[in-house]
Amino acid sequence: MAFTMRAVKVPPNSVSLEEARTRTFEFFKSACRSIPTVMEIYNLYDVVTPSQLRSNIAAQFRKNAHITNTKVIDMLLFKGMEELGDVVEHAKQRHHIIGQYVVGHHGLSQDSGTKDEGASDFLKNFYKTNYF
Amino acid sequence: MTLGLLASRALRSSRPINSPTTFLRTIISTPELHNNTSSAAAVADTPPPPPPDRTPVGGARVHFANPDDAIEVFVDGFPVKIPKGMTVLQACEVAGVDIPRFCYHNRLSIAGNCRMCLVEVEKSPKPVASCAMPALPGMKIKTDTPIAKKAREGVMEFLLMNHPLDCPICDQGGECDLQDQSMAFGSDRGRFTEVKRSVVDKNLGPLVKTVMTRCIQCTRCVRFATEIAGVQDLGMLGRGSGEEIGTYVEKLMTSELSGNVIDICPVGALTSKPFAFKARNWELKGTESIDVTDAVGSNIRIDSRGPEVMRIVPRLNEDINEEWISDKTRFCYDGLKRQRLNDPMIRDADGRFKTVSWRDALAVVAEAFHQVKPTEIVGVAGKLSDAESMMALKDLLNKMGSNNVWCEGNGLNVNADLRSGYLLNSGISGLENADLFLLVGTQPRVEAAMVNARIRKTVLATQAKVGYVGPPADLNYNHEHLGTGPEVLTQIAEGRHPFSSLLKNAKNPAIVVGAGIFERKDKDAIFSVVEAIAKQGNAIRPDWNGLNILLLNAAQAAALDLGLVPEADNSLETAKFVYLMGADDVNLEKLPSDAFVVYQGHHGDRGVYRANVILPAAAFSEKEGIYVNTEGYVQQTLPAVPTVGDAREDWKIIRALSEVAGVPLPYDTVGAVRSRMSTVAPHLLNLDEREPTTFTAEVKPKCSEKMSKDPFTNVVENFYMTDAITRASKIMAQCSALLSKK
Ligand code: SF4
Ligand code: FES
Repeated sequence: MAFTMRAVKVPPNSVSLEEARTRTFEFFKSACRSIPTVMEIYNLYDVVTPSQLRSNIAAQFRKNAHITNTKVIDMLLFKGMEELGDVVEHAKQRHHIIGQYVVGHHGLSQDSGTKDEGASDFLKNFYKTNYF
Repeated sequence: MTLGLLASRALRSSRPINSPTTFLRTIISTPELHNNTSSAAAVADTPPPPPPDRTPVGGARVHFANPDDAIEVFVDGFPVKIPKGMTVLQACEVAGVDIPRFCYHNRLSIAGNCRMCLVEVEKSPKPVASCAMPALPGMKIKTDTPIAKKAREGVMEFLLMNHPLDCPICDQGGECDLQDQSMAFGSDRGRFTEVKRSVVDKNLGPLVKTVMTRCIQCTRCVRFATEIAGVQDLGMLGRGSGEEIGTYVEKLMTSELSGNVIDICPVGALTSKPFAFKARNWELKGTESIDVTDAVGSNIRIDSRGPEVMRIVPRLNEDINEEWISDKTRFCYDGLKRQRLNDPMIRDADGRFKTVSWRDALAVVAEAFHQVKPTEIVGVAGKLSDAESMMALKDLLNKMGSNNVWCEGNGLNVNADLRSGYLLNSGISGLENADLFLLVGTQPRVEAAMVNARIRKTVLATQAKVGYVGPPADLNYNHEHLGTGPEVLTQIAEGRHPFSSLLKNAKNPAIVVGAGIFERKDKDAIFSVVEAIAKQGNAIRPDWNGLNILLLNAAQAAALDLGLVPEADNSLETAKFVYLMGADDVNLEKLPSDAFVVYQGHHGDRGVYRANVILPAAAFSEKEGIYVNTEGYVQQTLPAVPTVGDAREDWKIIRALSEVAGVPLPYDTVGAVRSRMSTVAPHLLNLDEREPTTFTAEVKPKCSEKMSKDPFTNVVENFYMTDAITRASKIMAQCSALLSKK
């Protein structure tokens, strides 16, 4: 079984910031490569596009862009890989993916666009919820 | 001496002055009481009763029609002044003592058969049933003596003897009078070892569930049915332990008020069938709201659990619904869970609806808005619309350059200039002062059940005469069917009809005209004849306005207050863009086939079939909205449950659409919408107040129109299904299948 076969070995720490950086990029690429599979197994075609998922992943990386401590970066990488493994192995369910990566803090990502820049606060709130 | 000690002394010395015992002492002149000014005054005059130190039960108030009629009785040694003719139980209530009771109900006749209300009266050999005993001057009533307590305990024991021990599975549990009173007054053990009796359950129809073994034979339900609902369906059969409540023959209870027996039954014998085993009353959240299924605006409490409306029960409002509500009001709530629109939708090229985001839906509507000429835009507000959304709709359409906006049911060229021209001017409670009714083209029993209950109450109490003009109807009081068509009205107006003499002799005649007449072509002619009748009967005086219009829908009065009156008569026939705000009953047949129809509403009802875009809105249980009832009483609904899916409140949708369409409306909050409303109709902000109309019939121009010979028709075909919510309700569908008269 995939779950039990999974290698639980922690890779050695990155020796320099440079190495941590390359690892991060590697990880980002592998995450991007798994997007088509994720779209497929969670049947996300009607709620999100691959590019939206990709930008969401990128946003998660950028959120930690300021971190320079290699140990912390390694830890975050480890967590990220674990999450990616869970997602790809279908250890999650559709609503997890939608909740975490499709509906961000701003409603369905297909709804948030650059379209309503000039809109009033009322309209922006209106698109989000009835209660404001 | 410390301050605390001082205070306690002051307290101790002041206490005896207020206590009931010292009241008697005021007539004794003792030196230390002489320097007390109040008691000195009391000695000089006849001693006034000391301020009541107990508050009357349930805010009971006494009204003395004639000061000579006041008598004084003593309840537990405490004197109270009450009018002659009150019962001992009422006197106790005024004195602030709540007497336990089962059969007594202050809106029903007195039966005196449960014996729970026994109290001790001095010089009477036995405890007396206080609900049936008139209070006599100087009576000394004792409610707290061992004899009274023992009597109650005994009655409880007898009642519980044959009452099943099924409180854990009983729907009344938690709000059961028997449960509460056995806790308060019952014995702590039973002595009953025989077999309990059991009674066959009766089938009273789809609304009332019966578990007749639980019945304690208080006969409240029987009295309610005969006295208030006016149906002779329920009765008492058998004697002694074989006594049963039932419908003498296999028959359903066919009253539009039948649900109220659920509330008045003190035990769980009659409970709500749709609510059976659905929830416990202590897990429900009550929201005080109002009903919108007819124009009466009955006060209700919406009981909800989480996002679901579990039941609707009445709230006391003496001016409107007293403490009853109609079955439609009470049981329509399951319609709030069915057929709901929860996402914005656009009709595809192949005629199917596709779910879209609000952004896209509004963009499509806004684009369609700009592709038509202003005069081709039409807006129709639905029966259930609140005043805020109607204001927003009117403002939006006016900004787009169109003034073709109206509320369904109001007809096309209705006169909204005079408020008295479309309201029930006597007021619902005011109808009780009438001594003659003339119902013109209206069947209050199906159009406004609570108004009908008022008329019935008046007819029973004062033997008021009722004349009825309209199609054969089943009114549950004595009435004279004068005719079916408007020509009878002409006869009455000209004094050629026997009813005219009755009308002339009546002190306060009430003429009630149905709002169905708004839809007739000859409505102006009919109204001028009715006004002539009113003048003949002297129905419009400074102290009495007896010319009434009985509206049909909750939105109508507010719509006319806000001036939702269309400019052109046949605007629908040339319309290219129609905005239906919950309007399901407009006739869209004449609409050109290329017209763009937007349906904003909460139910997938008739309006949706023709719609190009659907905008989901909130139902009355989910929003805060102002409604004006048929007598001009302004009330508001409050949100009890969250909105369904992606729905929004009505006025917000219109406000958002206005911005997308490039004509933003200047309000962002409910408060701002309301202040806009106040510039149009200031009284709409006076919640829970009835704005009386100022009116003289003379200001209206003479009408030269000819009256047609067409008889009046039934306006409400099916009492149980009149709007989107009730049509979606399964319970209402069952009712109309089983109960409406074919
Ligand atoms: S059914 Fe209820 S209301 Fe009717 S007599 Fe029995 S206990 Fe009273
Ligand atoms: S309440 Fe008085 S006898 Fe029932």
